[in-house]
Amino acid sequence: MASALRSAILGHVRVPVVTTGSKLLTPLWINRSTSVRSMSSHDDHLEKTQVIDRILDIVKSFPKVDPSQVTPEVHFQKDLGLDSLDNVEIVMAIEEEFKLEIPDKEADKIDSCALAIEYVYNHPLAS
Amino acid sequence: MAFAMRVKVPPNSATLEEARHRTFDFFRAACRSIPAIMDIYNLYDIVTPSQLRSTIAAQIRKNAHITNPKVIDMLLFKGMEELSNITEHAKQRHHIIGQYVVGNKGLVQDVANKDENISNFLKNFYKTNYF
Repeated sequence: MASALRSAILGHVRVPVVTTGSKLLTPLWINRSTSVRSMSSHDDHLEKTQVIDRILDIVKSFPKVDPSQVTPEVHFQKDLGLDSLDNVEIVMAIEEEFKLEIPDKEADKIDSCALAIEYVYNHPLAS
Repeated sequence: MAFAMRVKVPPNSATLEEARHRTFDFFRAACRSIPAIMDIYNLYDIVTPSQLRSTIAAQIRKNAHITNPKVIDMLLFKGMEELSNITEHAKQRHHIIGQYVVGNKGLVQDVANKDENISNFLKNFYKTNYF
């Protein structure tokens, strides 16, 4: 958790350029506040527990699924007995819930809850 | 202009696998246009998007047993045509409700007669002579 936070922060922090030149040569717009983007709205990454809960809710409310069998590692076709069309339908439901648009190649690979959670968690635009 | 968005490549599918892929593409296109459909026909109080998704999936599954790629292409063409008609508002609300909404478990009760709290005996009596 801490490492994820750290990498998220490292992705956003901009290190100010330090040159050996004199102050006269540095442009006037470089000041201390470039290192912390206080007005950035890109830090609202979803929590992993939130992602897991929402995805499990989607899978449980699918009419063909037995809710008691749903765990975060369950495989849609092997464990829940769904077919490939149901798989696509679940992926579309996930797309709708998190307001994403998953390209076809990625969508074909999402076969289980674990992959879905990982994909959504790593997607920058998930909400 | 509506079908320019979703033109399917005319050449026939070479294999069953390609036809299968096209079916999934069609299903995804249909699911992505569900919000627009609900907006056009004002279906917000009647169905949820997930019920519509299930209906579309059920209709696709009705033809799931077909193995000839050309037949699958033809069915997909008909499906695309239907989807285009719906999204460009060539149909009306009662068409959508009758074809895609009613018949799901949630709404069959709206179609049947109102339950008037009469006894079972009377219900059977009104229905048929032999019970």
